[in-house]
Amino acid sequence: MNLLLALAIGGLFGTGVHQLLRRSVVRSAIGLVILSNAMNLLLLTTGAYDGAVAAYATLQGTHSDALPQALILTAIVISMGGFSFVLALLLLLSARHRSDDIDRFTELRH
Amino acid sequence: MDWGLLLPLILCAAGVPLAAALGADLRSARAVRIAGAALALLPLAAVVALAARLPEVVSGGAPSLVLPWMPSAGLAFSLQVDGLGLLFALLVTGIGALVVLYSGFYLDHDPAAPRFLATLMAFMTSMLGLVMAGDLFTLFVFWEGTGIASFLLIAHRRDDPAARRAALKALLVTGAGGAALLAGFALLAHAAGGTAFDALRAAGDGLRDHRLYPVMLGLVAAGAFSKSAQFPLHTWLPDAMAAPTPASAYLHSATMVKAGIYLMARLNPMLGGTETWFWLLSLTGFATMLLGAYRGLRRNDLKAVLAYSTVGQLGVLMMLIGQDTAIAFKAMVIGVLAHALYKSSLFMAAGIVDHGAGTRDLRRLGGLRRAMPATFVVALIAALSMAGLPPLAGFLAKETLIATAVHPSDSRAFDLAMTAGTVLAGALVLAQAATVIHRTFLGRAGSAASRAHEAPALMVFAPAIPAAASLVFALLPEPAGLAAFLAQAAEAAHGATVKVSLAVWAGLSPPLLLGGVAMSLGVAVFLHRRRARDLEGGGAPWTWGDRAYEVVLRGVDAAAAAMVRVQDGRLRRYLVVMLAALGGLLVLFGAVPLPEATPGGGVPPGGWVRVFAALVALGAALASARLRDDLLAVLALAASGLSVALYIALEPAVDVALVQVVVDILTTVVLVLALRRLPRGPAHEPRVPERLRGAVPAIAAGVVMAAVAYAALSSRPRESVVTPFYEANAVARTGASDVVGAIVVDFRGYDTLIEITVFAAAGLGVAMLLGAARRGRPAGEARAAATVGVAGPRTSPFLHLLAWVVLPLALMMAATRILYGHDQPGDGFTAGVTVSLGVALWHAVFGLAATRRRLRWARPRALIGAGLVLAMAGAAAPVLAGQAFFSPFDFGHAVGLPLPPGVHFGTAMVFELAICLTVLGSAVHGLESLGGAAPLPAAGKKEDAR
Repeated sequence: MNLLLALAIGGLFGTGVHQLLRRSVVRSAIGLVILSNAMNLLLLTTGAYDGAVAAYATLQGTHSDALPQALILTAIVISMGGFSFVLALLLLLSARHRSDDIDRFTELRH
Repeated sequence: MDWGLLLPLILCAAGVPLAAALGADLRSARAVRIAGAALALLPLAAVVALAARLPEVVSGGAPSLVLPWMPSAGLAFSLQVDGLGLLFALLVTGIGALVVLYSGFYLDHDPAAPRFLATLMAFMTSMLGLVMAGDLFTLFVFWEGTGIASFLLIAHRRDDPAARRAALKALLVTGAGGAALLAGFALLAHAAGGTAFDALRAAGDGLRDHRLYPVMLGLVAAGAFSKSAQFPLHTWLPDAMAAPTPASAYLHSATMVKAGIYLMARLNPMLGGTETWFWLLSLTGFATMLLGAYRGLRRNDLKAVLAYSTVGQLGVLMMLIGQDTAIAFKAMVIGVLAHALYKSSLFMAAGIVDHGAGTRDLRRLGGLRRAMPATFVVALIAALSMAGLPPLAGFLAKETLIATAVHPSDSRAFDLAMTAGTVLAGALVLAQAATVIHRTFLGRAGSAASRAHEAPALMVFAPAIPAAASLVFALLPEPAGLAAFLAQAAEAAHGATVKVSLAVWAGLSPPLLLGGVAMSLGVAVFLHRRRARDLEGGGAPWTWGDRAYEVVLRGVDAAAAAMVRVQDGRLRRYLVVMLAALGGLLVLFGAVPLPEATPGGGVPPGGWVRVFAALVALGAALASARLRDDLLAVLALAASGLSVALYIALEPAVDVALVQVVVDILTTVVLVLALRRLPRGPAHEPRVPERLRGAVPAIAAGVVMAAVAYAALSSRPRESVVTPFYEANAVARTGASDVVGAIVVDFRGYDTLIEITVFAAAGLGVAMLLGAARRGRPAGEARAAATVGVAGPRTSPFLHLLAWVVLPLALMMAATRILYGHDQPGDGFTAGVTVSLGVALWHAVFGLAATRRRLRWARPRALIGAGLVLAMAGAAAPVLAGQAFFSPFDFGHAVGLPLPPGVHFGTAMVFELAICLTVLGSAVHGLESLGGAAPLPAAGKKEDAR
């Protein structure tokens, strides 16, 4: 199971990087989302306990680890915020250059 | 706890805002002069406050004040004033008062005078704190403060490139020394187990025998040498003469450059007395003394002559501290006092000459004694003291210096060298002093003499005071109070009793004879000074420091240029470099070693669904990469994200899964909206080689991440340190049975507060970037688009009905999430996003304008503001009940409200509501601006792309 999960996370990450490095603005943004999904999955599954039930005081049985869950809750929200800001920046840039090709964004070239 | 010690510091610090506040009102030269004179009253008051301490300190007391600063790190703000500190503190404030008075006249036509005065007061505060500090780190903070003030003062004439270069040089050289000093202090504090000077003195022997002693001494000495312009780090000081003359008189001769002297004297009882100490300080000081004495002779700039003679005197003082004998410290304290008096006086006189004659080039000066008689008399007295003639303070300093040199020390050879060196240096300094007077005031009238005029009386008053003091303190028949005070200062540095007598005539003795030799030699040098100049060479040792500085600067520039060349502006290449660096670091630090495969991993019960979820997540992600159509790719991404949510739900982590679901949907909506507004440029389908190039980093990243994930999953600890605390305390402390919710809202409430603030900022940022924040009516085409709905003009009645039904449902769902968030899955964040999605559906169906008109409550900015204010208020409310900020508090329970079971009216619910409002506002704001039709600015219109 660990191996399978590791491969899935690695696969998601690789796909994310692949998308991120593409020239299209949308694809690059999609890559960013896949990357954060992969990382959140990794963080979540490295919790200390393999729970049978969710971490509710009212539920009997082994609880899953509440700590990484609380932390990635924050991570998900922050990456959503960051993602929309980056997307807005990309939109502005593509409007300015009248193209969705990242290689045409030449502001940093000197 | 002697709170009175703060008084002089506060008096000086008060001058900073006062001087800065004068800024706008100083229109006339007269106003600047009055401001300077008024401001000088502050340091004058500080002098009085410090002088009141004299009786206590002379009788051996050392009043102190220790305020806790960072107790967990053993840091305190600590002041302590003993004889040594008080001597320097009186010099700092006394000369400071005169310099401030003088600055008002010197800069009376400079519009930036208030800035200069404010910086001068800031320097004074730092310098005073430095000499009053009672421990290492308090001293260090003030030490750096003096460096910054010095930088600003040297660069006062901002549009002069030479001044800026000189300021940068001073900052870099003394700043690097400061870094070494900090490292040395850290070692010292570690070795001594304390930072207070008292503790260090107690640990003295342990420090000298410590195995890191040479390192400590080297680092501390590097700091002191750079600040006090010791060879070969002296090069910044002559350059610093680019500063306005008051700053040169104050910082670069009387006070700041003596900080290194003060520090070494202060640390002598802890670190001194060893052979390393003796040779390091003696030789450095010796070389600096001769260098300054010789180089000063040759300058044509009046201030440069004085600067080099300062360098020489600093060398003398450093050498004296290295001797570690009672007579050496006697010579040091007298030397410090005498030099501060005559040099500040000479510098201020030089400034008057510069002001009155319009130049300080010795080739154009001469014969000014008629035009500037008062300045001439003042400069003459100061120069006689500098030359070491009786009955002036400089004479006493020179006599005790020579007496120290003939006094037997650890090394016979060095005694001889020191005797010869001090006589030679004394002769050269006398020649310098004579040159200054001769070429400025005597001789034939120079080209600048015709327009020279005397300065106002008060301006001459400033240098006259220290000049008179150097006369008075040597003329008074054995001023016993002063002698006792200086003895106290010397004792603090020596660590043992020092006897100081200030009698000018002490009988015929070897020092007096040698002083006579130096004097006649000096007169000879002065008469033959033109021949002495021919000794200058190109590759002389005194240029080493300059050359090293230039080599380092060029190196930094070259490295920066290389860095810039690597960055070619291609964003995708930057990404590859970043990923490669990340991967490299992971491999370098061994984060990827494959652990032994743990047997019996197997598939847990219900695990096949997880396998399914993981495979779908991966498959959908791959599909989004393969699909040609952007919209389909976005939908595939949504499927991938939902599968991730499914996996999370099976973990089981219900709260996270819910958030993942709503965020996934929101992301999809945002991306679809963005697609609408994306311009279609020329096609750029990647060719095969390019695809392959893109695949390499992707595959490498995937493999590395899979290995990291496998290592992390197989070798993770199976017992958490933190989680059991939350599990055990969730119900007891917060009344929440949802542990994750309790962590988010209560235990880590601060985190969440910051998180929603970031989310709010993101929404506001998106709106600002995309221009939806602009008020007013969108024009023409845009208005038409805004009235018919994001989805276009034709929407079916079914969709209208759906929008009408969905929004109330979303609101109800949000309400239950907020009410039961503590015990059931879901929280304020999900609630906020859910409602915002309902509003987004309205945008799509009815259009932005209609939505805004009908849903009057959905005002993004008001919602964000209300949410954040409510969050802060809810967090602060427990404070009223005497509890800590952000502590859980159940109002309903406290008041006795009849509430249904499972509903708690407390801080947690308020916070959930606040989160919901903030998130709703931010999401709606972002969605509105993404869905809007206002055209985005294209290149070439307002701002050029390049």
